[in-house]
Parts: sequence; structure tokens; C-alpha cells
Amino acid sequence: MVREINSRNFIQEVINSEQAVLVDFWAPWCGPCRMLGPVIEELAEDMGEKAKFFKINVDENPEIASKYRISSIPNVMIFKNGEVVENMVGFRPKQDFQSAIAKHV
Amino acid sequence: MSERYDIAIIGSGPAGLEAAINAKIRNKNVIIFGNKDFSPKLIKAPKINNYLGFYNISGKELKNQFENHIKNMNINIVEERIDAVYAMGEYFALMVNQKMYEATSVILATGIEYGKPIKGEEEFLGKGVGYCATCDAPLYKGKIVAIIGYNKEAEHEANYVSELASTVYYIPMYKGDLELNSNIHIINGIPKEIVGEDRVTKLILNSEIIETDGVFVLKDSISPSQLVPGLEMENGHIKVDRSMRTNIRRCYAAGDCVGKPYQYMKAAGEGQIAGLTAVDEL
Repeated sequence: MVREINSRNFIQEVINSEQAVLVDFWAPWCGPCRMLGPVIEELAEDMGEKAKFFKINVDENPEIASKYRISSIPNVMIFKNGEVVENMVGFRPKQDFQSAIAKHV
Repeated sequence: MSERYDIAIIGSGPAGLEAAINAKIRNKNVIIFGNKDFSPKLIKAPKINNYLGFYNISGKELKNQFENHIKNMNINIVEERIDAVYAMGEYFALMVNQKMYEATSVILATGIEYGKPIKGEEEFLGKGVGYCATCDAPLYKGKIVAIIGYNKEAEHEANYVSELASTVYYIPMYKGDLELNSNIHIINGIPKEIVGEDRVTKLILNSEIIETDGVFVLKDSISPSQLVPGLEMENGHIKVDRSMRTNIRRCYAAGDCVGKPYQYMKAAGEGQIAGLTAVDEL
């Protein structure tokens, strides 16, 4: 399952996580983001035990978007030990995210 | 939900048409996107002597032969321009403005019309460079944005961005009247390079240098890797194997877009392989 997070629980859920974390930065007005949503959901079904999956709305959480300098969405980042280890801009096929996560679990 | 086609073919040149007729012969539900002239390159060719069976034929005459052929097989070309193809896993979503088509497989036969990227364009993609101004405009609220526009449509996007950004520069790459909001700065020059460190900071033109937070490049035809996010390219062409498979499952490519030589027969042959591989792997 992909859970929605916000600036209040971002540190606890993402930065302090011991597992690898995938974060999908999205917004409701972004067409490609809406297409990517179900792809990430599927991925979470497949790999839910290996990593954590979150999405964050950049409209509602501008401080996180600006901290990670999001300039194009969808933007998927993978965090490990609080650091961004993968930064993938734009829609991608599921397989691309799969192999990106596999590198860090 | 919309109808899901077995195979969607993008492009109506020789590669796309040959893929379509072969898929149709194998009784698949096919949709082909392109235009009624099939290929602007074809109708421009004065004489063709290397298309087997048609000695000394003009491009227009060959186009008429193609037209008869597909008409006889009840293949109709859908005159719509696909903006993006998303690999959703079990199917592909093909976007046309606000509309969406679904297909189990996709054959790319887009030719090779797209211009070269500007220096720095690919390097800064997602770090200040973008291809969809309306998608990313809210992220540039109060910032400076430069828009390189290759067509009239880009003007609408520029007007939209100008309502959010602090400053918008518009660099038209075509001639004609511009319908732009009065707060947009028009710059006449040729973009040479996009520069920055970890983000875009400047756009260098032959006439001047502008400081900017973002650069949107709004082209007529986009490169295959932008059309199909995640598609692997090699030396400016789509990377395929001998069966015309790309790196994405059930996505195939044929014709000029996969590499040289740029010839009708080679394109048609590859279209046939792509069509047959697609049918086999459905």
C-alpha cells in the first residue's frame, strides 16, 4: 500500500526509516502523476516487504518540495538512511523503479 | 472504460503501414495514428528507384499505392498526435490532449523528424528543464522561467505560466504574430546552451544571456524517449533487438527511428518484423 504523508510525519516516516523508502512527489493537477499512481501502487503490492512506499502532495507540502528542490513532477525519490539515493524524474515503467529499489534493499 | 486495442501503431510512414497490414492479416485489433499524407518525406521525394517492384516512381505515386493498399484492407489512419505513451504494466496508455487510448502493445514508427536537443537540455532535465509548462508551472510560482516555443501552442502555455511566475521570457523559434500576455518578455535569439550547477541558472542565446530558474522547451515533435518515458535510446535512435523489441515489454519500434539507413524498404521490412513480433507476443 502507498500511504500519503505530509511535512509533519516526513522525518519520522522517511528520514528515520531503517528500510529503504520510495517517495512519490505528486500533485492532483499533474496528468503523468495520475498515471504513475497505479504503477507505484502495484509496485508496493509486489515489494511491500522490502521497502516502504509513500506519496506526498507537493501543493500541500511546499516546504518539503522546496527542500528537495522538486522542479518537475512526477518525481520519485528513494531514501536510504535519511539520504536520497535515487532521484527519478518523470513517468517511468514499473521495471525501472523495481531495479532502482533492488539496488538499495 | 475505453476499448483496448491489441496493437497501437504510432506513425503512418512505410514502417507503420507495413506493421499495420501484417497485424491486420493476423486478425488483430489495430489502431494506427498518423496523418492523411502518411509521411511528409514520402510526398516530397521526386524519384524513387530503390523500392523493389516500383522502378522510377515518384513519392506521390508510391503514396497513392500505399493508400489503395490500406483502403483495400480497411485500415484507417487516426489523425491524432500522441503526446505521451505510458507503460502501465499490463497495457499502454496513449495520451492525446485530454483523451486516452489503451493498447496491449505499441509499435513506434515515428520517423526521425525531431531536432537536436540544446546543449545542456538533457543534462538538466528535471533540474530546471521541462517539456510540459502547464504540468510544472505551479512549481515555478514567483520564479523566473524561460520558454523556448517552437509552435503557436507554446504561447498558450507561456500565458498560463506568466500568471504564476515572477518573470517569463519567451523565445519564439518560428515566424508570425505572437499572442502573449503583456508581462511576457519576448526575446529574439537562438538558444545555444542551458547552464547551471546542480540546477539551471542561465540560458545562453546568441544574442544575450538570461538568468532563469527554469527552461521549458516546447517542440512540435518530441524525441521517442520523451514520448515513451523509460525508453532506452542509443546514439539518437531507439535501441531494438533483431525482432524489433525495445527495452520495454511489448513496445516495439521500426523504421528511421531505430537507425540508419533511412530507406523505405528497410522501414517497411522492420515494420513487418515489428508487427509480427507484436502479434506473436500478445
